[in-house]
Amino acid sequence: MKTEPINTKNIFYPPGGILLWIIIFLELFTFGIALIAMVVYSKEESTIFHESRLFLNIAFGTINTVFLITSGFFMAISVHYLKQKNTKKSLLFLTLTMLGGVLFLGLKSFEYLDKIEAGLTIGYNTFFTFYWMLTLFHVIHVVVGLVILVSVYVGLKKEKSTTTIEDVEASAAFWHMCDLIWLLLFPIIYLLF
Amino acid sequence: MNSRIIFVWILLVLLTITVGVISSFSLSYAAVAILGLSALKFIGVAFYFMELKKAHIFWKAAILIYVFLFSIITLIYLN
Repeated sequence: MKTEPINTKNIFYPPGGILLWIIIFLELFTFGIALIAMVVYSKEESTIFHESRLFLNIAFGTINTVFLITSGFFMAISVHYLKQKNTKKSLLFLTLTMLGGVLFLGLKSFEYLDKIEAGLTIGYNTFFTFYWMLTLFHVIHVVVGLVILVSVYVGLKKEKSTTTIEDVEASAAFWHMCDLIWLLLFPIIYLLF
Repeated sequence: MNSRIIFVWILLVLLTITVGVISSFSLSYAAVAILGLSALKFIGVAFYFMELKKAHIFWKAAILIYVFLFSIITLIYLN
């Protein structure tokens, strides 16, 4: 069977696949609307939002952003090596990608524990309702992304692998989507109010 | 390996640190700077890590319009 490389310049074949890009835009709109709602509420309770924001650790948020960006960078390299049919290096960078995700979750868990111990739970005030809902929803995406990456890793590791480059690109697009969402959450929740 | 992607990664990390530092100062245009730099990071990830640079103009325009509208609407409600 003759296979042609996918022409990503075609409107129906963006990198990662059109279905995934529809999901990405749906997710971006969902988070975007929720964040704008948060900003609208902040006008009504500006003092509460400012004082609550000061309870958040900007260093943790910045480090977590670096973790996700670096993880996304490794994912891009992993896809690059797979296209060159260098599965060994692709797997190495896929492992580093997952490590970045695990580090993000580790630091986020530490931050959550800190907030719970301080009594800053979901019902504390409007700011923390948004904080918990938005960041937890994002964390769920990161966990799902990690599960997808583990399945890709297992698929590529098999001797007679049926995992295609399109599968890996779609998984990579989902992982990068977690980056994109965090790049919207971080400035608004941690820095602006 | 593509050296451009390494450059983009370093730039994204530097922008992240810059945004963190800007937020600690009480500058009058801090919100604009934070949102502007964050939008740049968003575009960097979409165009280089997600390879949207190689995609059809429709997808590039869609992501640019999204991030532009999001930043503008946020700024309007903030002020």
